Amino acid sequence: MPLQKLTCVLLVDDDQTTNYLNQLLINRLEITDKLLIALNGQEALDLVQAHCHEATPDCPALILLDVKMPVMDGFQFLEAYDKLPLPEKAAIIIVMLTTSLHPQDVDRVRRLNIGGFLNKPLTKEKLNDVLKNHFNRHLPE
Amino acid sequence: MSSTPLPPAAELARANEELRHQLEEAHDLIHAIRTGAVDALAVQGTEGPRIFTLQGADQGYRTLIEQMNEGALLLSDDGTVLYCNACLAGLLQCDLSEVMGRAFADFVPPAFRDYWAGLLLKGWESKSKGELPLQTRGGALVPFSVSMNVLSFNETATLAVIVTDLSAQREITAIRAQVEEQNALLDRKNEELKREETARLAGERAAAEASRLLEGISQIAWTVDPSGANTYRNRRWYDYIGVAPGEGPSIGRAWRERLHPDDAPATLARWNESLRTGAPFEVECRIRNADGDYRWMLGRAQPSRNAQGEVLQWIGTYTDIHEHKLALERIDQGQRELLNYNEQLTRVNVDLDNFIYTASHDLKAPISNIEGLLDALLTELPAETVAREPVQPILHLMQDSVNRFKRTIELLTDVSKLQKEHGLPTEPVDLAAVVRDVRLDLEPLLQSTGAQLEVDVAAAPAVMFSEKNLRSVVFNLLSNALKYRAPGRQPQVHLRARPEGAGVVLEVQDNGLGLDAASEQKLFGMFQRFHDHVEGSGIGLYMVKKMVENAGGRISVSTNLGIGTTFSVLFNR
Repeated sequence: MPLQKLTCVLLVDDDQTTNYLNQLLINRLEITDKLLIALNGQEALDLVQAHCHEATPDCPALILLDVKMPVMDGFQFLEAYDKLPLPEKAAIIIVMLTTSLHPQDVDRVRRLNIGGFLNKPLTKEKLNDVLKNHFNRHLPE
Repeated sequence: MSSTPLPPAAELARANEELRHQLEEAHDLIHAIRTGAVDALAVQGTEGPRIFTLQGADQGYRTLIEQMNEGALLLSDDGTVLYCNACLAGLLQCDLSEVMGRAFADFVPPAFRDYWAGLLLKGWESKSKGELPLQTRGGALVPFSVSMNVLSFNETATLAVIVTDLSAQREITAIRAQVEEQNALLDRKNEELKREETARLAGERAAAEASRLLEGISQIAWTVDPSGANTYRNRRWYDYIGVAPGEGPSIGRAWRERLHPDDAPATLARWNESLRTGAPFEVECRIRNADGDYRWMLGRAQPSRNAQGEVLQWIGTYTDIHEHKLALERIDQGQRELLNYNEQLTRVNVDLDNFIYTASHDLKAPISNIEGLLDALLTELPAETVAREPVQPILHLMQDSVNRFKRTIELLTDVSKLQKEHGLPTEPVDLAAVVRDVRLDLEPLLQSTGAQLEVDVAAAPAVMFSEKNLRSVVFNLLSNALKYRAPGRQPQVHLRARPEGAGVVLEVQDNGLGLDAASEQKLFGMFQRFHDHVEGSGIGLYMVKKMVENAGGRISVSTNLGIGTTFSVLFNR
């Protein structure tokens, strides 16, 4: 049974190579037809504000969020996102992508009200876990 | 008379003249009595009253009696007043006429009548003296002394009495008492003055004694009185300020004028406090010398007290501590610099730790990208290309390099985690139990190498350490002893522990490869590897050293190339 695709996925990372590889992976696994890329928290926030006040096809169902970024990092994005008056916030799943975290950052991430966090690099298995846990669907065997 | 022959006429004329003279005298007497100028003596005789005059007494004597300041009277044998002078009448506040001819006992208060009778009795025998009160006309009793003796007038005995008013004497007595009291007071004052003088002399002697002693000592010395006014300065002071005693204005010789402006307020405040409370004075301050340079002095002063505990004077000294103080300051400065260096080093260490963490963290992203790109490339390349020479070995070596890179980053991450553990809480850990666990973990290696491991840790008390780290230390040392075994002989490893001082010493001795002296120096460095035939990260001993030292311990090694190596770890308890 082919996967029921997500309406839209947003990648937030300042590393173009990471974005390229993740885009390659997501496209190969055919998780979504609509992949958006933001290079920092501010760009991501602009995208969310532009597309999510009403339920549009461009409002991401899944946001994969890097921690360390210039302009606005992952934590700052989450703070600003929390204050946005969006009607369907529950429909937006945010997963943080981290490298090895500083112990105090691990604590910080754990206390956040987000879908979860994954250690980089992103793999097929990790994506499948996200689909299973948050979208009740999985990649074809 | 007719029978007697008539005397001759001349004799008759002389007798006549004498009689006429007597008549004139009698006339004068009667006149004097009438005018009160001369006292008459009225004596009640058997044939009626008789008038006695002061026959034979001259005018001067009578005047004396009349004008003297004592009462005088004559008493008849029955106690009647024959005569009294005006003074007595005045003392009794009566008229002369009221006293004369009266029984004198009327003036004696009843309680003294017997006494009076006794005095009279004795007086008639010869003389008597006594004291008694007499009643005046007003009824008041006045103290008198009486003295009496018998006088004879024309063969009639009378008792002459002199009466002296004692009230004045009583007053005199009272005054005398006052005078005596005053005198006693004066005596006491004198006594006190004498004592004070003695005390002052003692004080002066003490001061002189102090001065003599102080003159000889090597410090600056001085004395002041309890108010703080200077009483003495020794020669050292005058040498120091370059002024002779008594030279120039006195203010210029005072220490307070020579205090360093920065020290003056605190020093003077403390000195005034000591003067007020009597507490010993001690201060370090700078005082200007003859050249105008300030030198550090240790000032001290103690109060000297008398037996009553009052401050007699203050004895003080100034000791030159300039060099000492400067040396201390240099030491202080040195210590401050050391502290600064320490802080800098600590900062550098923290920076390095952070650098290792950041580097390991930041290198992770690109290496996983490279790995990801390599994977992507593999999926993009046609399978036959991938399998072809030299693509296949290139890809293999690339993957190998990526793996080594990743492992190094992992190790760096471990090291940086260890840095963060600095100050990790320690607990008493049972060394024997840890060694048992590690031995189990290493059992496959022990088996494959045929090594003989002897453990003797029974004598060791518990070690204060983090259990995880202790396990890591024991594991590293034991696995090293096995890994770097000498080919051609059975590995023999001794693990011993014993208490030493307040800590525990753990020794791991092997008969392995050993190291030369040059390598020994670098043994504990990061990423140091000495044997390429054995798999190793070059990080194990660095980690062991770090863990031991983080917990306040020490690690040392003694090694002989080709013979073996012994590691000694001292754990502080």
